[in-house]
Amino acid sequence: MQSEQNTLPQFVSRKIRVEEAVGTTLAHDITEIRPGEYKGPSFRKGQCIQPEDLCHLMRLGKRHLYILDLDDDHIHEDQAVLELASALAGPGVTFGSQPKEGKLALKAIYDGLLKIKVDALVEFNLLADVMCASRHNNTPVKSGTLLAGTRAIPLVIERNALDRALEISHRHYPVVAVKSFKPAQAGLIITGSEVYEGLIEDRFEAIVSAKLCAYGATLKDTVILPDDQEQIAAAVSTFLERGVDLIVTTGGMSVDPDDVTRHAIRQAGVDEIYYSSGVLPGAMFQLAYRGDIPILGIPACALYHQTTIFDLILPRLLAGEHPDNRDLAALAHGGLCLNCHTCRYPDCVFGKT
Amino acid sequence: MFLAYVEINITEVALEDFETLLEGSAKAHGHLCPGQVIGVRMAMLGCALIGLDQPAQLPQIKSLIVYVEIDRCATDAIAFVTGVRLGRRSLKFVNNGIMAATFVNLNSGKAFRIRARETSREHAADYAPGIEDEREQQLAAYQKMPTDVLFEVRAVVVDVPYSDLPGPTQFKSECASCGVIVRDKREIYKNGQIVCRICAGETYFKGGI
Repeated sequence: MQSEQNTLPQFVSRKIRVEEAVGTTLAHDITEIRPGEYKGPSFRKGQCIQPEDLCHLMRLGKRHLYILDLDDDHIHEDQAVLELASALAGPGVTFGSQPKEGKLALKAIYDGLLKIKVDALVEFNLLADVMCASRHNNTPVKSGTLLAGTRAIPLVIERNALDRALEISHRHYPVVAVKSFKPAQAGLIITGSEVYEGLIEDRFEAIVSAKLCAYGATLKDTVILPDDQEQIAAAVSTFLERGVDLIVTTGGMSVDPDDVTRHAIRQAGVDEIYYSSGVLPGAMFQLAYRGDIPILGIPACALYHQTTIFDLILPRLLAGEHPDNRDLAALAHGGLCLNCHTCRYPDCVFGKT
Repeated sequence: MFLAYVEINITEVALEDFETLLEGSAKAHGHLCPGQVIGVRMAMLGCALIGLDQPAQLPQIKSLIVYVEIDRCATDAIAFVTGVRLGRRSLKFVNNGIMAATFVNLNSGKAFRIRARETSREHAADYAPGIEDEREQQLAAYQKMPTDVLFEVRAVVVDVPYSDLPGPTQFKSECASCGVIVRDKREIYKNGQIVCRICAGETYFKGGI
């Protein structure tokens, strides 16, 4: 925000008779007192007077009102915020038609991944007369989720100040958007000789399936394999040949001699491969791609922690993004899960860079 | 396929008496039925609740939006009485399969959802005892039935999206895939591209793409 003094425009207010007030904008609050029942504003500064309001105003003893008399260079806050929201809201973002005190909430039209252009948001907020506060970039959201709030700060904003805000929004369009999730079909490879030989019951399939379903994806098939590099590599190749949209492998991501899954993925033939992330839990995560098909290596921590690197990367992949090693490293700031007693992810700091 | 074309001269009506509106509604719809009675009464009640007595005329025509939750006979009656039209963006169809509609006054923010009670069918004999035929009985009974027997009424809040308002097109996007212009924020952000719903795979038809 600019630190200079508020430069409220010297808008004109004018006194009129109540009978002439329909369609005009009040320049002041009007308080109503009903003894023992209510005391407070019945009409607010900036409110547009409707035909049905006249009797009410008369009952309150009002015969004259001060109204805002705005020219084209001065915009009322409610009109201004409709223009601001229109410019900020990209695809997948909606907002209501009834601003309150110059404020509007931006909400998701459909489920998806919230995208915020953070630099543009900062540039927008550097202007003194407007603001927009948002949720974090890359947050998975549901239809109807509150994404951001924007407002015109003074009751009356100058046209050129508003235009500067609109120009920033248009130049960076879309500043606020929701990327839809694709209904991907995933293949799951659970690795570990102890699971394969039945010494331990698998719990990964239920976890992975639930997390996929949460974003509209489905688990097409699951195979359980021993810690055998050849067999795992062959399973990866088979899934790729079958045309799945995403391959998830679990286990075998550490540095022990039996942890061969990450080597098997490389052996299967990939175009990109990134090992380790700046996230706890999830340091030993691997992300590879054959073309645009992601092959994830989920470390065993996902069995024990409710929320891990998998939860941060999966929605981005399902939204069609192609994170690389820099993206995995950038997760470090905010990549520390606080292991809350009751997990509130994504409504927490985890993964918010 | 047989196509029937009926030219309906829909005039803008002020809220007249029930009989006149019902007659006009039945003519516009093509027949008189219990749904016409429910629709006319629902529309008259909805308009009264939100303070509109001439919803189909200026300036009130710009104040009204009606959300209908069913596409059956009553919907046409509501449109006839209120003057709301799909093409004017004042009639919104929410496919809930419920005999209900919500009447919104955009100026005052007042909104009421009115739902026809299923129990009104059971009470039809009480209000038209001499009629044997079920449909004829409902037709007569629904005209006499007290409002609270026929309808459930709830005050509600409707935050009408700005992009759903009547008036000139505010929002246009060009589909990055096929180039079609998508209006009113119906585009989808998919795989990093702004596309129309057809290119996003949300089709109600097969082929033709």
